[in-house]
Amino acid sequence: MSKPIYELVDELPEHNMTVRVLNALDFVVPGEWENIVGFKETIRHVTGEEDEDLIQQIGDRAVWLYNDKSQGYQRAMWLYQTVDNVDSALGTAALANKVGEKIKLFGFLNRLTPKPDKAQSIDLALKLVVELLAFCQINGIPGDSIGDFVASLSDYSGESLMRMSALICLDALIPLGPDFVEKVQSTIERINASEIQGHPVYSRLEGVIPGEDAENKLGFIGESFNSATGWMQGFVEERDLSRDRILNNIGGFIEGADDKLDYVAAFLDMSTNYYEHTGTQTLAKRLIDRAFAEI
Amino acid sequence: MFTIRRILTAFLLSALLLLTACTSAPPSDFQQAQQESTERGAKAVSKDAEKGGSFNKYFPKGQDNYKVVFAQEKKGFAQAKIKRGSTEVAVMSISDISSTPNAAKKFDQSTQKIQGYPVVTQGKTTHTLLVKDRFQVKVQSRDDSFTDSDRQNWLAKFDLSRIAALAE
Repeated sequence: MSKPIYELVDELPEHNMTVRVLNALDFVVPGEWENIVGFKETIRHVTGEEDEDLIQQIGDRAVWLYNDKSQGYQRAMWLYQTVDNVDSALGTAALANKVGEKIKLFGFLNRLTPKPDKAQSIDLALKLVVELLAFCQINGIPGDSIGDFVASLSDYSGESLMRMSALICLDALIPLGPDFVEKVQSTIERINASEIQGHPVYSRLEGVIPGEDAENKLGFIGESFNSATGWMQGFVEERDLSRDRILNNIGGFIEGADDKLDYVAAFLDMSTNYYEHTGTQTLAKRLIDRAFAEI
Repeated sequence: MFTIRRILTAFLLSALLLLTACTSAPPSDFQQAQQESTERGAKAVSKDAEKGGSFNKYFPKGQDNYKVVFAQEKKGFAQAKIKRGSTEVAVMSISDISSTPNAAKKFDQSTQKIQGYPVVTQGKTTHTLLVKDRFQVKVQSRDDSFTDSDRQNWLAKFDLSRIAALAE
C-alpha cells in the first residue's frame, strides 16, 4: 500500500540540497515559491484557516480523496516520484552533513557521470510529459489534453511555476545550453522505438504515456514537447536566463561549478528531487482545495 | 539475588518502555481517516454523483478586473479560481454532496438566505450555500482583499435555479 498523503507531506524536508537549489532559483520567479512542509501547515497555508476542528475535517476528506484511486491523485504522485527517483545515486547520505557549507564539486567528480546530450534531451522531454500527465490527473481532464495543459502554463504559479523554472534551468539550460529546444527536437526526430525503450525513465513510464506502441508514444512525447516550446522560449527570453546567470546564483554554494557544466548538471540531477518535492506540494494543495470545497 | 533480579527486570522493562516511546512516531490525527478510507470497498466519491463538467456553465463569468479560470473538474466537483491580475483572490466551487452527506448538517444552523437558499459561513474565509439538499456552492477567499460581502455577491452570481434543476 502506498504511503498516506499526510506522511508524504509531513516528511518533505525543510532543508536539503533540493531546497537549497530551489531557493537559489528564486531570482527566476521572485517570491513564487515558499517551502511549505507538513500536512496541517499546508492546510493552514492553502485555506487561511486556523480552527483545529475545521483543519481536521479538511484533512480527513483529503485523505479519503487521495486514497480513492479513481480520483487520480495517487497516479499523479507516482508520476512525480518516478521521474525523479531513477538517478539518486548521490542521494541524501553523501550530502547529509553539507547543509550549511559550500560543496566542492571536485570531491564528487569520480562519482558523477555526465549524461550525453541525447539522454539528457529525452530526460527533459519526459519530465515535461510527466508534468502534462500529472496536471491532467490532478485537475481531472483527459490524459491527452495537450492544448489545455499548454494554455494553463501561463497560469502556473507558486511551486508549480518553480518546478517549471527548475526544469528550464537545471534540465535544459545548464546541460544542453541555449539551443536546448532544437537539441531535444532533433533527438526525438532521430531516435527510434527500440532506442527509447532502453531509456531508464521511459521504460518506467511507458505504460502511462498515451499511444498504442513505442512509435505512437514517441509521437506523443514529441507533440507534447513541441507544444510547450513557445512557452519555454518565452520564459527564457522574458527573464533573460542564461547559463552564467544560473551558475552565478547556484555557484554560491557549489564550488568549482564554472567550467564543468556537464558535471554540475549531473551533480544536481543526482542530488536533488525537485519534481517530487514540488509535485507533492502541488498535489497536496489541489487535494486540500477540493477537500475544503466538499465538506 | 532475587531482589537484584527484580530490580534488573524492572530497570530493563522501563528502559524498553522509554526506548519504544522515543522511537515510534506519535499517531497522526488523520490515522482514522486513513484506515477507514483504505478498507475494502471504501469510496470517496458516490457513483451517483453528477459529472463535474456539467457544473461549469453555472459558474459566474469574469467581469471588471476579475478573471475566472477553471481549475479542477472531477466527478461530483468543479472549481474555478477568481484572479485579479496575477493574484488568486478567491476560489469558487460546486460539489455534489451525495458523496459527503454530512455536509448538509451545517445548514441546520443557517440564518441567512440568498435567492431562497440557505447560506452558512465556514471558518473565516468561506461562504457556502446549499441547493436542494444536493449541491453545495462555495466562494472562498484566498486573499484578504476579497471580503465577506464579495463572497456573498459572487454566490448570488451563480445560476442557482439551473443548478436546482440538476437535482430534479
